[in-house]
Amino acid sequence: MLPKQLDPSQLARLGSLPIKARVIVEGAISGLHRAAMHGSSVEFAEHKEYSPGDELRHVDWKAYAKGDRYYVKQFEQESQLTVYLVLDASASMAFGGGGIAKLEYAGLSLAALAYLVIQQQDKLGLLACGDRKIETIVPPRARTTHLHDVLAVLDGVMKRGAAGDESPAEALGRIAELTRRRRALIILATDLFDTEDNTLRALAALRAQRHDVSVLHIIDPHERTLPYEGLTQFESLETSNKMLVNPAAIRRDYQERMEAFLTKCRSTLAGAGVDYHLAMTDAPLEATLLELLVARSRLAPGRRAS
Amino acid sequence: MSLGFLAPLMLVGALALAVPIAIHLIGRQRAKVVRFAALDFLMATKRKTAKRLRLRERVLLLVRALACLAVAVALAKPFTSCERKGPMVTRGPQAAVLVLDDSFASGYLIDGKPWLRHATEEARKILTQLGPEAEVAIVRSSEGADHPTELTRDHLRLRDQLLALEPSSRPADTTRALARAAQLLAASSHARKTVFLISLGAKTGFHGDESPWGKDGPVLVPLELRPPKLPNAAITALRVDADPGAGSRGAAFDAEVGNFSDTPAKLELQLAIGDRVVARGSLDVAAGGHATKRFIAMLPVGVRATDASVSLAPQRDALSTDDRRWVRASLRDDVRVLLVDGDPHTVRRDDELFYTEAALRPGDREDSGTSVRTITAEELAGIDPRHRAAGSGAPTEAPAIDLADFDVVVLANVAALPPERVTVLADWVRAGGGILVSSGDHVDPVAYDHSMLPLLPQSLRDPIDVTWGAAPDERDSRALHLVKWEADHPIFLPFKADAPELASAKYFKISLLGPTTATADRKVLARFTNGAAALVEASIGAGHTLLYTSTLDLDWNDLPVHPGYLPLLQQAVRHLARKHAVGTDADHLVGSSVVLPTVDLKKLEVRGPDGLGAVFEGDRIAGRSSVRFTRTDRPGIYKVIGTDQAGATHERDELAFVVNLDPHGSDLTPAPPSMLPASGAGEGTAPDDHRRRVELWHALAAILLLLLLAEGLLVQR
Repeated sequence: MLPKQLDPSQLARLGSLPIKARVIVEGAISGLHRAAMHGSSVEFAEHKEYSPGDELRHVDWKAYAKGDRYYVKQFEQESQLTVYLVLDASASMAFGGGGIAKLEYAGLSLAALAYLVIQQQDKLGLLACGDRKIETIVPPRARTTHLHDVLAVLDGVMKRGAAGDESPAEALGRIAELTRRRRALIILATDLFDTEDNTLRALAALRAQRHDVSVLHIIDPHERTLPYEGLTQFESLETSNKMLVNPAAIRRDYQERMEAFLTKCRSTLAGAGVDYHLAMTDAPLEATLLELLVARSRLAPGRRAS
Repeated sequence: MSLGFLAPLMLVGALALAVPIAIHLIGRQRAKVVRFAALDFLMATKRKTAKRLRLRERVLLLVRALACLAVAVALAKPFTSCERKGPMVTRGPQAAVLVLDDSFASGYLIDGKPWLRHATEEARKILTQLGPEAEVAIVRSSEGADHPTELTRDHLRLRDQLLALEPSSRPADTTRALARAAQLLAASSHARKTVFLISLGAKTGFHGDESPWGKDGPVLVPLELRPPKLPNAAITALRVDADPGAGSRGAAFDAEVGNFSDTPAKLELQLAIGDRVVARGSLDVAAGGHATKRFIAMLPVGVRATDASVSLAPQRDALSTDDRRWVRASLRDDVRVLLVDGDPHTVRRDDELFYTEAALRPGDREDSGTSVRTITAEELAGIDPRHRAAGSGAPTEAPAIDLADFDVVVLANVAALPPERVTVLADWVRAGGGILVSSGDHVDPVAYDHSMLPLLPQSLRDPIDVTWGAAPDERDSRALHLVKWEADHPIFLPFKADAPELASAKYFKISLLGPTTATADRKVLARFTNGAAALVEASIGAGHTLLYTSTLDLDWNDLPVHPGYLPLLQQAVRHLARKHAVGTDADHLVGSSVVLPTVDLKKLEVRGPDGLGAVFEGDRIAGRSSVRFTRTDRPGIYKVIGTDQAGATHERDELAFVVNLDPHGSDLTPAPPSMLPASGAGEGTAPDDHRRRVELWHALAAILLLLLLAEGLLVQR
């Protein structure tokens, strides 16, 4: 029996990534994703036994009359949605103040989304950025087996750990090249710690190409509150910079700057039409995903990828 | 100056210096290391804070290291030694007396400050060095100064005393002060006894060869607080005499100037009469010598007595107190005396009044202050008014005499007068005249009792001859002498209490006195060795009568050939005439007492130069012929304000007097070391070196406290 709310750190201790993804999706958010992700032009594919949460309009009443059992008709999308999951695996994502690392949180989120996407038989592609030396890209496919490939790559990235200082902007540029004129849904999980705001600009550029863009802004609570006490030496995860400081003396100023940064990200991306979600790593994963899915379901039909 | 440690082993504690350094280093290592993603935010946030933090850490390390070092060094009790500038002072329980020179010479300006200020500063330092356990007294060494009665630990009060100390107007009497210091220390139970002598060390302050203490006396620590030479010039004496050559108001002022220095000096002087400078002059005075400058001046018209002063001016020297001296200058009124010769003689020397005339008018000089007319007893008939009325037509009769022309009548060995003449004389005396009656062979006590009583203070009895029946060689030994005279009486003012010029006179025969008459204020002014009265005074109305129980010539005594005869007679007639010569030649020194004749005043007030003085009234003046004023603490002019019997109050110029400094105090020649009393054992040990140890741990403790305070503040920030 799974708990109602999934604690990300407990979830991280579960087995392989496919199991985690299934636990998240089937256990916590079943019934929501279908409505959120259904295609607009479909043709019948097969029957599926009714389960609570399925839409009644898809119940095959004729089949019911024949066999006295409820079946739901399932359709194949006429034109498939291409979903790119982009994982920021730069060194800064390795930070995990008190719970799981940001990279792990982001990975789990994307794995759950991958599960959903494949279940909907949409095309799913994956890009991981951070380490300039390693090219991690999974081209989009819609097959169910493709999920295993995607999750295996995702698992590999997470096991390798966060490294490098490559900005997601470059990966986003790649997607722009790959999709060409075909619109896609791009979901980026990142901390946006990019000194020159390249990522924000790349996201805005994608949106300008009429792609549907969502950002999961992964922030550790410690990064937001700086809760440390006593003399502390902070060492950068991406550079060799160090700083010996009494956190109490600078906490307030730091918090103000961090809030200003979050506000800037939110307002810049909202201004560009990017779907922005702040995800604190101590928040339950399914809540984060629910927020993302609910927000997407509320988007205007024009914005919805088809 | 060198540094040493009483407990050098404690310096090992300086290794504790390693503790804060270790803490600092460990603290750095113990700083939590956090690999942080948002370091850019941190660095942008507080780059300045980090710098300040680093500085604070380093300062904190320094403060802690210094505190550890201070503890170790303070425990090692560091000290330094430096040359003693002051006296040999040891701290701790002991008895000590600070003998401080507050003579008028202590006002000598050194570096623009009176020497006494330097002295009191030094005394305060000694007090501090002696420590609170020392019992101390401060003894002033000016002549006649009040001395403390006991030692005290109340150093606060002693400091107040030092602050309040001002140069007095008296010369130094160091010997007496040292003796008093020895007395105070003798009463103390402490083993260590020290006398600190803070003095100008003038030779004149020491007198006598006797030491103020014996072998077991205190340790004497004299302080060298003066330059080797203290040049000084002073007016040491000032005298005024009438100078008839300059007219009736002419006066000669003789100012004696002392140059107490090694170099000859040309000194400027000025004479002031009242407030006006009337003459200036200069005077060359040899090194260490004296010289006299004479000023001739006229006393102002309209005043019979005034004050005058001579000062070194316009430039005074470092000790200005003794640069001025005052004197009273007064025009003396002649006393008009009518001498009645009861035993005239053709041989002048045998005449009853031969010596009297010579005494009252020495050398027959005009300026003797007395005019004398001598008549015989028969000629005294001229005083009778009826005779005077009829006298013009009887050439053989005595010439008429108006008693109003005389102040004093002297009846010398005069046989008893007829009652009518006595009545005339008595009336004249009652109106203010003065009469002196002397005894002799012509004086018949019975006849005197019969007619002369109104003129006498007391009735006469038969004379006694103390040499009667004595062999010639025993004659002198049986003679009587004058003793027990009223020293405060104006008549005896010129004489000391045991003046040989009076006491050595031999009296062979004297008149005895009968029972006391009704005269209320009869007073015996002098007695003989056998107790018999020699001089008796009484008031008759507004006048005075004086009875001398022996002769004015050599018949009954040999006083006329003694030096005391002249001043005694002069004073007697001046007293009877109430024309005292007070102030003209009397030179009162600061601290001496001044006898003032009451001249029938009801109230008498003396005001000194500083406005303070004394008031004599009621019992203090009633029935007295003189009062004694003792508060002559400052040099200058003392005015006298009198209230007479009628109630009128006005200044009595004739009674004003001046007080001057004792010129001995002006000589600041240092006393040779041999004049200082030998330092006693003091039963204690005085440090024998001239180095002084200064302990430093107090200062280190204070520094440590400050360091701890700073550390606390830094940690809080």
